[in-house]
Amino acid sequence: MSLASTASAKDQPSMLARLFARQELALLVCLILVLAFFSITVENFFSVRNMTNVLGQASLALTAGIGCAIVFISGEVDISIGSLLATIALPLIIIMNDTNSLLLGVGGALLFGLIIGVVNGYLVAYAGINSLIVTLGTMFIMRGGVYLYTGQRAIPDDASLDSFIALSDGRLFNIVPYSAVIAIALLVAFGYMMQHRPFGRQIYAVGGNQEVARLAGYDVRRVKFICFIISALLATVAGIILAARVGSAQHTAGLNFEFQVVAATVLGGVSLAGGIGSLTGMALGVLILQFLSNGLRGLGLPTEWQLVITGMIIIAAVAFDEAKRRRANGG
Amino acid sequence: MSELTHASTQKRFIGGQLLGSSQLVLGAILAVLCIAISIAAPQFYSEANIIAILRQCALVLIVASGMTMLIITAEVDLSVGASLAFVGCIGMAVLNSTHSLALGMLAALAFAGGVGLFNGLVVTRLRVNSLIATIGTMMMLQGGVYLFTREAVQNHNQLASFTDLGAGYVGAVPVPVILAALIFVVAYVTLRFTTLGRYLYAVGANEKAVRLSGLRSERLKLLAFVVTGLCVGVAGMILSSLMNAGQPTAGRGFELTVIAAVILGGTSLLGGRGSLFGTLLGVLVLKVIDNGIIILGWNQDLQMVVPGIVIILATYLDIIRNKANVR
Repeated sequence: MSLASTASAKDQPSMLARLFARQELALLVCLILVLAFFSITVENFFSVRNMTNVLGQASLALTAGIGCAIVFISGEVDISIGSLLATIALPLIIIMNDTNSLLLGVGGALLFGLIIGVVNGYLVAYAGINSLIVTLGTMFIMRGGVYLYTGQRAIPDDASLDSFIALSDGRLFNIVPYSAVIAIALLVAFGYMMQHRPFGRQIYAVGGNQEVARLAGYDVRRVKFICFIISALLATVAGIILAARVGSAQHTAGLNFEFQVVAATVLGGVSLAGGIGSLTGMALGVLILQFLSNGLRGLGLPTEWQLVITGMIIIAAVAFDEAKRRRANGG
Repeated sequence: MSELTHASTQKRFIGGQLLGSSQLVLGAILAVLCIAISIAAPQFYSEANIIAILRQCALVLIVASGMTMLIITAEVDLSVGASLAFVGCIGMAVLNSTHSLALGMLAALAFAGGVGLFNGLVVTRLRVNSLIATIGTMMMLQGGVYLFTREAVQNHNQLASFTDLGAGYVGAVPVPVILAALIFVVAYVTLRFTTLGRYLYAVGANEKAVRLSGLRSERLKLLAFVVTGLCVGVAGMILSSLMNAGQPTAGRGFELTVIAAVILGGTSLLGGRGSLFGTLLGVLVLKVIDNGIIILGWNQDLQMVVPGIVIILATYLDIIRNKANVR
């Protein structure tokens, strides 16, 4: 953000104009409009229970979205996260069933996620293969691998550890779901890293202009490599939450999840071109889509309409953003 | 051999496009695959099996022909899978109510072409990144097809001409293969021997230069989107003929297979580089692998794993070869 915000500060002198030019504010207004609309039209929409429920549902996309946004900002894409969700549930559930230990299960899942991140990152950053191709390939490999291993059957969680079930049912102070607490904590931590730590600035620099970043002495390959590892580990956390929610390792878990996350991330103003966007924007994008789908369900619309409307909103939002940017650049 | 190609790619880069570096790698992979599979399972070379492979190639090749053009212009379309299912349902519904193959086909082409036009307009007029725009269209189509029909649209009047579209033969060759060959040849000639084809490469390689030299780059991209859409229309009708119904769930993951085949064929996602001949090889490699897994009696879930490995490996080999050539 540092590069982008200093640039816009020079272009736009007025404090107010600068505030409104910010993607996050426009998104916040959108979110408030969505909340206001459904609060009026849907009964019990604006209840603490429903709000926190939606937050819990959004925690998956929020957590994985952090990684997706960071990879986008570094100028690459990662579409393997949906398959990763299904893959890491296997070591998680199997180890837990064997050892009755949540810690070992989560450790195994994270180790698996780490390996996947290292493979993706190595192939993109060091072997120099286009990230869309790499993650398309690993997406196929992982999904096929899960089908092969499970014979297309779900592996149930036989251990039923209280601590694991609490990941889906438990609520902090009986209000906020633990999954949402995890997502928000990660969001704050990585948000701090992106805005205030040197490594965050390096990611923006690499995504903004790779050649300049290289000349400035940044290790472009290492930065991208680490971004893919971060993305895989965060998707692993999302996968653990999902496994807790469904109480098993599902071979179909996370199908099309990558598209939802990519859509929300782009809606949040994170550019596919790299170097532009923020985690706050991504989070607002996820929340808008999640509240929208919850509200539409409250209105009694079939889920198919949610898909149609979400698709339209994504196109409209990106088109609007693009028009704004072109106007700012003088046509 | 390597020295020979080395010299020729440096001297005449255009000439190298016919049998560029990635095609050579791919051709070798295809040959090794065919030999390996036929040693393990001699029935691989039976007439029935070869026709089966070709028939499976047809659907992918038809859409991949359009997709190659589109990716050469540096855009991509992820909505083709969802569109394929929707087109089949619409074509079948029109066929049922009008009893006319021509009208059904027309409806399918109009719808699929319309989807391509919509994608193209969103990308060229509203300047939305095509990856995002077509994810949006994909969602709309996936939702839309279920709003259109919750279950498969059955074939009510069993027109012979419609059944022939998927299952018929001309001589020994299946009709879908002939259609695929026709579309492939037209696309191949367009890309290689016409000014339009050269413009498409130019748009992908350097859009700004194309615009500055007075061409309407948006029109060219729009055209590529519409052509891709029309290809989906043809493929959708063939698929619904093969299944004897319009299935709203058909085509899941089809977009990824098509894109994988195009990328495997050496077409660069950055635009401006690639060839239809490579795409043909890419489709063949993927489908020969599929077929090999079946006739060797291996677990069919490998049909997802192996292509994933092949895409990454082939791209990596291509990079290594390019590096060696530069040196």
